[in-house]
Amino acid sequence: MSRETVSFRLNGAPVTVAAAADRRLVDILRDDLALTATKAACRVGRCGSCMVLVNGEAVNSCLTMAWQLDGADVVSAEGLAAFPEADLVRSALAAEVSFQCGYCAPGFTVALTALLKSNPTPDEADIKAALEGNICRCTGYLSILRGAQAAVAALAAQQTAAE
Amino acid sequence: MALTILKPRTLDEAAGLLADGAQAISGGTLMQLAWLRGEAQPERLVDLGKLTRDDINEADGVVTIGAGTRLADLETSDLIARRLPLLVQAARSIAAPGVRRLGTVGGNVAGRIGCLWPALLALDARVTVFADGRETERPLLDWLALPSATILTAIRIPVPAGEIRTAYRKIGLRAAFTPSIIGAAGLLEIEDGHVRSARLAVGAGITRPQRLARSEALLTNRDLGAIDWSALRESLIDEIETTSDAYRSARYRKQAAANALVAGLGGGVAVSRRSSPRHLAPAEPIQPDESIEVSHAKLASRWGVRPDIAAKVAGTLEYLTDHRAPGMLIGRILRAGIPHANIRAIDTSAAEALPGVVAVVTAADIRGENAFGIMAADQPALCFDKVRHMSDPVAAVAAIDAETAARALSLIRVDYEPLPLVEDWEAALADGAPLVHASGNLRAEFRHERGDIEAAFARATHIVEDVYVTPRQMHGFMETEGGYIVPEADGSLTVCVGGQHGTRDRKQLSLILGLPEEKIRVVTSPTGGAFGGKDELHVQPALALLALKAGRPVRLQLDRYESVIASVKRNPMRIRMRTACDAEGRLIAQDVDVIADSGAYASLSPAVLETALEHVAGPYRIGNIRSRGRLAFTNNGICGAFRGFGANQMVFAIESQVSRLAELVGLDPVAIRRLNLRIPGEPGFFGHEVAPTERLSEMLDAASANPLWRTERGLDAEGRLVGVGMALHHQGTGLGSLPHDPGGGRLTFRADGKIEAAYGLDEMGQGVMPAIQAAVSQALGCAREDIVPVIGDTGRTPESGSTTAARGTYVIWRTARDTAPGLSLKLREAAARLLDLRANDLAIAPGGIRDARSNSGALLLRFADLAARLDLDAMPSESTDFHFPKADYTEGNSRYVFCFGAAVVRVAVDPVSGQVQVLDLDQHIAAGPIVDPAAYLGQIEGGGGQGLGFTLTEDAIMQGGAFVTRNFDTYMMPSIADAPLASRITALESLDADDPHGPRGVGEIGIGAVTPAIAAAIADATGFWPVVTPIAPEAILDALAGANHVA
Ligand code: FES
Ligand code: FES
Repeated sequence: MSRETVSFRLNGAPVTVAAAADRRLVDILRDDLALTATKAACRVGRCGSCMVLVNGEAVNSCLTMAWQLDGADVVSAEGLAAFPEADLVRSALAAEVSFQCGYCAPGFTVALTALLKSNPTPDEADIKAALEGNICRCTGYLSILRGAQAAVAALAAQQTAAE
Repeated sequence: MALTILKPRTLDEAAGLLADGAQAISGGTLMQLAWLRGEAQPERLVDLGKLTRDDINEADGVVTIGAGTRLADLETSDLIARRLPLLVQAARSIAAPGVRRLGTVGGNVAGRIGCLWPALLALDARVTVFADGRETERPLLDWLALPSATILTAIRIPVPAGEIRTAYRKIGLRAAFTPSIIGAAGLLEIEDGHVRSARLAVGAGITRPQRLARSEALLTNRDLGAIDWSALRESLIDEIETTSDAYRSARYRKQAAANALVAGLGGGVAVSRRSSPRHLAPAEPIQPDESIEVSHAKLASRWGVRPDIAAKVAGTLEYLTDHRAPGMLIGRILRAGIPHANIRAIDTSAAEALPGVVAVVTAADIRGENAFGIMAADQPALCFDKVRHMSDPVAAVAAIDAETAARALSLIRVDYEPLPLVEDWEAALADGAPLVHASGNLRAEFRHERGDIEAAFARATHIVEDVYVTPRQMHGFMETEGGYIVPEADGSLTVCVGGQHGTRDRKQLSLILGLPEEKIRVVTSPTGGAFGGKDELHVQPALALLALKAGRPVRLQLDRYESVIASVKRNPMRIRMRTACDAEGRLIAQDVDVIADSGAYASLSPAVLETALEHVAGPYRIGNIRSRGRLAFTNNGICGAFRGFGANQMVFAIESQVSRLAELVGLDPVAIRRLNLRIPGEPGFFGHEVAPTERLSEMLDAASANPLWRTERGLDAEGRLVGVGMALHHQGTGLGSLPHDPGGGRLTFRADGKIEAAYGLDEMGQGVMPAIQAAVSQALGCAREDIVPVIGDTGRTPESGSTTAARGTYVIWRTARDTAPGLSLKLREAAARLLDLRANDLAIAPGGIRDARSNSGALLLRFADLAARLDLDAMPSESTDFHFPKADYTEGNSRYVFCFGAAVVRVAVDPVSGQVQVLDLDQHIAAGPIVDPAAYLGQIEGGGGQGLGFTLTEDAIMQGGAFVTRNFDTYMMPSIADAPLASRITALESLDADDPHGPRGVGEIGIGAVTPAIAAAIADATGFWPVVTPIAPEAILDALAGANHVA
């Protein structure tokens, strides 16, 4: 098995891993680096449980291969605390009890944090559009939507307070 | 075979590599999907990402989009938004945002199946391509015929001039994040009300990209007012070339695309516009007393936050499939790959010889019984004589890594003698059908008859008869089956695999492994969703055999494809139902014949069918009933438990029948139900006693008072048909009168001052942990935080029965009720000794012990301080065990304690595509006191979501004994865009004065009324009563067309 090394930043620190060119980022995270907050519920880009930030944007780590990672800045759910929005998102989702089994939760949290980073005042349609790629089987989504809206409200309150 | 990524520096170099057989890759998202679908992976890929432009600009009225531009950039580009808004629409329809940030415009177009194609054709796009050392510009359609060494470098689109009219529509399998069934786009350039040019196109998915010239001719050079839209529609249907697959017919694709183009360009859609909705609104809304809205805002003082939520959101909760440890082997299971065959021989020698393989197991390694199954041991742990479905396990391997395990699987040779396939469950019961089991294909048959059914039908005024067909719904738990097993030094085995009943898993494993139960510890929590689908053993037998043989810890998790083919599904049913009423609407006769698919083994299917048959009369009094249910073995995977457990299939049928009879009689849907409702206190369906607290009448009140009835029905602003419908149901809790149904739990005061509440129940997400905290803290008088739930571990928790059948809530509550007084007394006595007071003068309070005689609430002694002064070997503890309450009826299985519910639903039916959007999904529930509001709400909303999928989008389609659906790319669980826009949940908490059974579990009540309520709302909107779920958009289009003819 031919392995190459690929170097990128992961959760703020440089890493170099040996991996075949087509090894998926989700497998590198879960199996090579034992970072299991990122889940792999479909591995075909169709559930969002594997969402990570690559260069600041939420993408599916199961569709991202090792050869595409060279020099990238990757943040997995474990490293999300680096963004102030993440804390608000997590607290709001927890307070609204947005999740049940929770297996989808890290993916939603990554997607929502990325949304608030790029758009601090999303409306319901913006939130739904941003979460279109995240499947949750337990909740029927309404609790997640309520959590997301609570996070948006908390961010607005924080900004008003800061002004 | 290793993949090499080639990174040429020039287009010339790249073209050379492509000519040499390498394959181009850009973002790679479509390509990976193709690989995962089983298409061959190339050895060499040429990365075009850095070679092609990724900018968007405009010059001389032409927009140029570099092939390397990400799809997401089309959505955010100001230039595209201003000049080519059609393209923004098309881009937004592709997959989901995360995927669009990876995929490129070039990749979407070059792959030929991309969703941009119809829009680009309508925009008259051209492509620039690099071949033979130079870049040339060509019409877009030329791309389809260009040699593979050609590189797509940019898309060039002339900005349409003057007044234009555009249409774009992607028809998918659900509201968003869906494969394309067909995409259609059109653009008219208009001058003074005259169509100067017209371009119409379809494409995407299995539809070849095509311009529709003959249809365009019907528009070009016409005055807008003179366009014959219905001729255009006919022409489009005639001209579009496409094909059928397992999901949608070619006919549907053509109709939907033609409708979309006609409607989008201004021709409207031809449907009969009924002026008045079909259902009568309930006559006199009665506002039910005491019913409360279940929401955080309305129940703020009772709202609790589950103890595992923070870790789940942060991703720090370790699921059993997340466990990684050095030296742990990776397990894989070899599946039959053939639906029905005798096994002649299994040769594992090559796999065993492969370096890195530590253990290979087959049936020969089984020391105990090679058979398991909750109701009957008919499933082999590893097959030895024959295989009965595609994913029957035959062997398993444990290796040092996943690659080696995969290689080893491919080296195992199994010699099969194929047997004839048993595919249709009705045909399976015919004389001479090939046998799946030697005992016969009829796995179970249930009959029930009372009254004089023939005479009743003879005097009926109205009769409705139909066949209701329900799908092979997949549980779709996000965490696929898996976990790890550790062989311990003392010869025991620690099994950490998600499940729903640890002690039963242990018993079944003990029989297979020939290992005493005391030597097996089963940890089943936390689990990432189950819904009934992890009730039966799944990977445990093979994984345990591997761990024992390897003598090392082994982990294993099914990938989604393997889970799709191997997991238990909801039993598909065909329900023939004939229902009669008299002139006033009194139900007088009901004749029901059900045939259900069991798949290859029984699992819980007989109980599922029996539960369905318990509901043939719904909650109504019908004097004359005949029912028969048959369960057939086939080679269609395995079926069994799934939330609703057969009731929701039957409730769909009976509730639809009742609503249809209401139409015939001229009653509103509440009135006919009220007329026929069972009377509280009268015997249950089998004449058996049922528990008090019947709330059917109150649920009808709530449904009748629901404000949705007073919303606008008929056509909405988008031209969709809006309707409202309702359904009523009740569902039992617990396993029923026949099965052993134990419950119990234990409270123990711990050294750290917490109260450990130990239950052998599982947290699959439904909220066992918050329910334990809520119920026990309430019973004791302490705070939720004082309670530490310990669950799902046979090494630490007592027998509580299975975590199924909405039974956990009762077990939790009853244990708390029975043990809290004793523990409270022990704690107060211990504190009294320390404080030199009497136990009766003390009370349990949040965080500790207070003086019962004062109102101050101040703690006299914190729990932690009390614990510190107690003998660690004799900490206060109380435990109990009991049986789940059941009826004394034993001729069949029947339920005793029930929940009640009504759903009121508002839908919008799109006459363009036949697709249905659920706008409102309100559920009114009566299930006794709410234990934990968030969990209660979550169960009803979540059950509603699964019901919505069962009704509109979900079916694990099988053909020839194989699943056509392989993953979430085609198995359509609702996405957030499919969720109801609003959903109001109300609860009626009261119990009758003489009711000793406390709160009911709400795990199942949230699904049953959803399907018939949606069906009724569709009927209200369109006049069409769907009887097959998932409801086919094509059937709705046909019904609308039919209605048109009548009108
Ligand atoms: S695992 Fe990546 S999207 Fe599902
Ligand atoms: S909470 Fe279970 S999948 Fe979302």
